[in-house]
Amino acid sequence: MPESDITDGRDAITGDRDHVGLDDTFASRRYFAKFRTITTHLARVAAQMRAEGDLNDTELKILTRHVAALGYSFRALSMKYLMAGRDTGRFFGVLEMDRVESGFPVFNELLVMANDAAQAARHLENMPTPEALKDEMLRKILGEREIPTKLQFALSQRLYYEELLRGDLFWARNDPQVAWLGDLDGRRRYLLHWAVYDSMVNLPTIYLMEVEDSGRRALPRDERRWPEVQAHLMGQSVGGLKLVTIARGFDADFDDLHPKRLRRFHLGPMYSHAYTQQSGPLREVLRDARAPEGQDWALAWTVEELESERVSEERAGWFSTVEREVFALDPFSGRGVDTGATRTERAIILPQRPYQVLEERRPPGFSGVRKFVVGAGGRVLSYR
Amino acid sequence: MANFEEQVQESQKQVAEAQAKISELTGRIESARQKMNTGEDIAIDIENATLDEVHAHTELMNANIAELIMGLDDVTAAFSRDFDEMRSKTGWESFVGIFSPAKSDSMRQERMRTASIDDKLQDLIAKSDVITRLLQSQLDELTKQKEQVEANLSETLDEREATVGALESLRTEIKAMDPKIIELENKIAVEQDATARTRLETELAALNAKYNEMVQDEQVKLAKSQTLERYIEKGKTWIDSLQNQAATQMVLINKLQTDTKQRVVLYDALSKSLKTAQQQDVAHRINEIGVETDKEAQSSMAAIGAATNQRMADMMEAHEGHMVFAREVLEAKAKADERFTRRFQKIVEKHDKNLYGAE
Repeated sequence: MPESDITDGRDAITGDRDHVGLDDTFASRRYFAKFRTITTHLARVAAQMRAEGDLNDTELKILTRHVAALGYSFRALSMKYLMAGRDTGRFFGVLEMDRVESGFPVFNELLVMANDAAQAARHLENMPTPEALKDEMLRKILGEREIPTKLQFALSQRLYYEELLRGDLFWARNDPQVAWLGDLDGRRRYLLHWAVYDSMVNLPTIYLMEVEDSGRRALPRDERRWPEVQAHLMGQSVGGLKLVTIARGFDADFDDLHPKRLRRFHLGPMYSHAYTQQSGPLREVLRDARAPEGQDWALAWTVEELESERVSEERAGWFSTVEREVFALDPFSGRGVDTGATRTERAIILPQRPYQVLEERRPPGFSGVRKFVVGAGGRVLSYR
Repeated sequence: MANFEEQVQESQKQVAEAQAKISELTGRIESARQKMNTGEDIAIDIENATLDEVHAHTELMNANIAELIMGLDDVTAAFSRDFDEMRSKTGWESFVGIFSPAKSDSMRQERMRTASIDDKLQDLIAKSDVITRLLQSQLDELTKQKEQVEANLSETLDEREATVGALESLRTEIKAMDPKIIELENKIAVEQDATARTRLETELAALNAKYNEMVQDEQVKLAKSQTLERYIEKGKTWIDSLQNQAATQMVLINKLQTDTKQRVVLYDALSKSLKTAQQQDVAHRINEIGVETDKEAQSSMAAIGAATNQRMADMMEAHEGHMVFAREVLEAKAKADERFTRRFQKIVEKHDKNLYGAE
């Protein structure tokens, strides 16, 4: 049988590795429902952080915008894979997720989505409208007494492309944007922010960088520097690079831009007893919680922060000097894990029931982790 | 990549032609069926519906698409050029290195920092998507045709069953008539009365007429059954062929998707690990020297030593992870390749010759 030949191939790729395709219709839909809940909670957690003074208004706005974009991306993907596991006459139409590391979809899904988005308008042109499709579905149900799987698939694809056309999605790379913070000692201060979907760990990562600009022209209007800055930052947005590496490289390549503070938010990994297979205490916590549908998850959230400690003058060429930042590093870096950042804060976001079990068990390693407990009605409680 | 575009257009044209040929053949089989319903002779139609032409064409088309997939290999050759560039110095950098090795290094690092293969990855995905769509459209068409012919065929099978049933019962009836006729003939032989004899002879004549009619009917039914049989044979071959073609499309799609997925993962991992490994160390050393000048020399030296060791260990570990991962990816690729080669031996040979022999 040719079919069995094909499935063999898939198993060879996915079976012995940590990527898995969600080929059960209900598993796939529940997965997306889970992420819909998580992204709505994420925005509330950001608001809570604002209330506690960890973020300012500009940062909150940027962060929630990226989180919202992530939500739209998931919504689009959920439409694309709505009919996964049903016989739609299409091949391999299932979402691949990283089950061992991140619990998020794999990087490739976002690249493919970007490719689909480029052609969305062309696809929509040739597709019947939702009304026409629904009409046809009715006729199929009443006339032929069949489940209109293929029509449902066509409609789900249509909605997927419509969502893509609406834009504001979280892509594999979201190029830097700039926000003006004010002037300080005759220098302009900017907040640069960008985000990538890190391909090594399959997690969305958001970067915020405060820079002082001693150049003659304002950075966003400088046709020479701004594209270079963008290209540089995108090229350096690799999860494997430590913050100090990124900041030093930026400082060295742009003489009149001075990075003062660099933060990196890792959203994830997502833990779920049913879907992921990470090792560690959280897995047991979730297993013991036996949480009902929609509450079986925990999302880690890590903020790395690097601050400039002072400035040293360095000679550049014959007559001029440039400023170089010296960054404050974690004083424990020599002994423990070398983070390459001034401080690292970990937090987890989880529903009440898993939190209860976490408190009862008190597994080691969670005392320094901040816990955001989300409950019904959008309540967010924060525990240290 | 004008070459790729051209090839895609060529393949698109061939897919369209192949689809036209396939549906034409299905159409011919369909129309034969309609003719049969109106009772016309369809022997010629069946003979005309030859598969050879279609096969020749689909083979050509598949060869073309297979070549297109192999052609992606050439597209990806650009990646390895990128990786080489990341590993080595450019001519200008080497030249500068003669005067100032430090300047040359910093130039190279600056180049490394902006290097990105994301655009190329996106391009690769777009190209493989174009081919997948081509293949998928062909697969859709094949499935549609197969369903159509299958529906048609099951109807014909029913009809043939009915015809054979009728033929059987006709034969039993004919057989049952034999003793009646013999009995009647015997009766006539011994009958003395002329009137009775005439009556019996009339009866016999009627019986004989009926017998002849039934035998003739048997012939007609037999012919019909044979035609149906031939039609069914033809239809079955056509379904087999469609199924086979669909399997070919699936193998091609599988190969393409596996390849692309793995290429993306592999290239991405490679470029990022190159970047990470080469920069991390340098940046740390520089910054730490800045930090450490404030502290006492001795403890700082120890700290640098420890930090560097830790970093080296981390890096080695990360590298090992990449290597293991890459190996698994390569194994999976080998499997997909093998399946592909089994089916497309000739094209692979030709491609290899073109690539390594002629040029």
